[in-house]
Amino acid sequence: MIEFDVRTTDDGIGVVVPRGRLNMVAARQLRETLTGLVEGGTSRIVVDLAETTFLDSSALGALVAGLKTARQAGGDLRIARPTESVLTVFKLTNMDKVLRPRDDVEGAFHG
Amino acid sequence: MFSEDRRQAPRDAPPGGVERRRRADRADLPAGVERRRQRAVDSLGLSAPVRQQRDDRFDRITRLAARVFHASWSSITVLDGDQAWFPSAQGFDIPLMPRQDTFCSRTTHNARLTVVPDASLDPDFAGLPAVVNDGIRFYAGVPLTDQLGNVVGVFCVYDHAPRTMPGSDLETLEDLAAWAQSELVGSSEMLRAGTVQKAMLPAAPIHRDDWHVDGICLPALAVGGDLFDFAVNNGVVHIGLGDVMGKGTGAALVGAGVRAAVRSTHPEVVGGADLGSTTYRVARTLQEDLDRGESFVTLFQCAIDVADGTLRYVDAGAGLCVVVRTDGSVERLQSSDRPIGILPDDTWTEHRGHLAPGDRMLVFSDGLLDLLADQVEWWHEVGRLVAAHEEPSSLLLAVRELATEQVSLDDVTAVAVYRRSEGER
Repeated sequence: MIEFDVRTTDDGIGVVVPRGRLNMVAARQLRETLTGLVEGGTSRIVVDLAETTFLDSSALGALVAGLKTARQAGGDLRIARPTESVLTVFKLTNMDKVLRPRDDVEGAFHG
Repeated sequence: MFSEDRRQAPRDAPPGGVERRRRADRADLPAGVERRRQRAVDSLGLSAPVRQQRDDRFDRITRLAARVFHASWSSITVLDGDQAWFPSAQGFDIPLMPRQDTFCSRTTHNARLTVVPDASLDPDFAGLPAVVNDGIRFYAGVPLTDQLGNVVGVFCVYDHAPRTMPGSDLETLEDLAAWAQSELVGSSEMLRAGTVQKAMLPAAPIHRDDWHVDGICLPALAVGGDLFDFAVNNGVVHIGLGDVMGKGTGAALVGAGVRAAVRSTHPEVVGGADLGSTTYRVARTLQEDLDRGESFVTLFQCAIDVADGTLRYVDAGAGLCVVVRTDGSVERLQSSDRPIGILPDDTWTEHRGHLAPGDRMLVFSDGLLDLLADQVEWWHEVGRLVAAHEEPSSLLLAVRELATEQVSLDDVTAVAVYRRSEGER
């Protein structure tokens, strides 16, 4: 099982923190969480991957779908602090250029 | 393995009957067995749900069992970590229980039919909450296993009165358990789908001059989103290995389309067409389906000239291909292209390489990556694996063993290309 922390910063940026393994089952929840944020008016989203121990292709798909949804709403989706194993998945698939990992959550939408 | 069957010893029980152990000992499975078992539970999506939902497929079996056996309770039980949950239960309504507090943890351990005629007389069961608080006396449970024999659940009946169960009733119980097992592990419909999907793989390895090409595809569920294809024509071996996002039926449906799209480019590829262009066409064909299904595909393709070993390849975001040279060095075939279905304006670029006599190549899906000890610098481990096997068939057998041993959570696919050295002819 996986837990999601969802909060909104003072700047109106949605922060999603998945804890544990982001597999096919969790990817569905992640997708719904991201869609829910955008539909609720929060189209700038940071997914904090510091506590995500594993990420499979479904989870990557959920992030890409979330990215497209956020951009369609005039916002963006960024990822922060991926663990080494998660970063490997981004690099292998060359997705690190579309979803460029940021060093921290606060700065993900600055600079 | 020891028996807990008090009433009638199974045929393979040791003479002299029953070995007795303290309760704490028997509930603990050997670490390796339990790890594989837990991964099988995870892989089948049988983890304890956040919200319990009734499932008619299971309820009709437990209802029938309670009625047929005039039993107070019946359940399908799944052990997930330290907890037990009940995909279906009749007679009691408890979402979660500590694993140790269940009859079914013993059945899981035994991995065979377990009958307790009177739990109050049995020191191993007398202390369970169901016995102490609910007055349960009789229990009969049948383990439910996946295709590899891992116990992923238990089908059982309970009664408030002590009783025995005649052989004919045991047969009925086992029949109902087999039904529950097929519902839990995958319906027969899915098994047929798996057969169809297997038939879409190349029928035989390629043996051509110095070249030997073979592959395997091991879906985590009945069908999967991994695919591979190869054929040799016009003196060119064309290989494709794709991985559709996710696994299971949805991924398999998309995968069949990917295979067809790649096949349609085969005549051009062996005719020398640029793999970047043909991949672009594959992507255009799939784009709409992938967009609507919110899916994407990683796809590695290569074309090898069997006369001189020239290798052309294109990699749409897979990143998992190694070449092991005769001197033992390990090279990766890399690219900076993304998977198909990510961005509408993506393009793909053909790269070149060469396979000399004695060189070996392995291309695989991330399901295999997941099984490796080092997933960051994985190519060393894969390189050693390739170097250790003299034939594609034995290499692929080793991959299969790895997938079985570790219980793969994702589809595992690999294609091996070996070019014999001059001396081996």
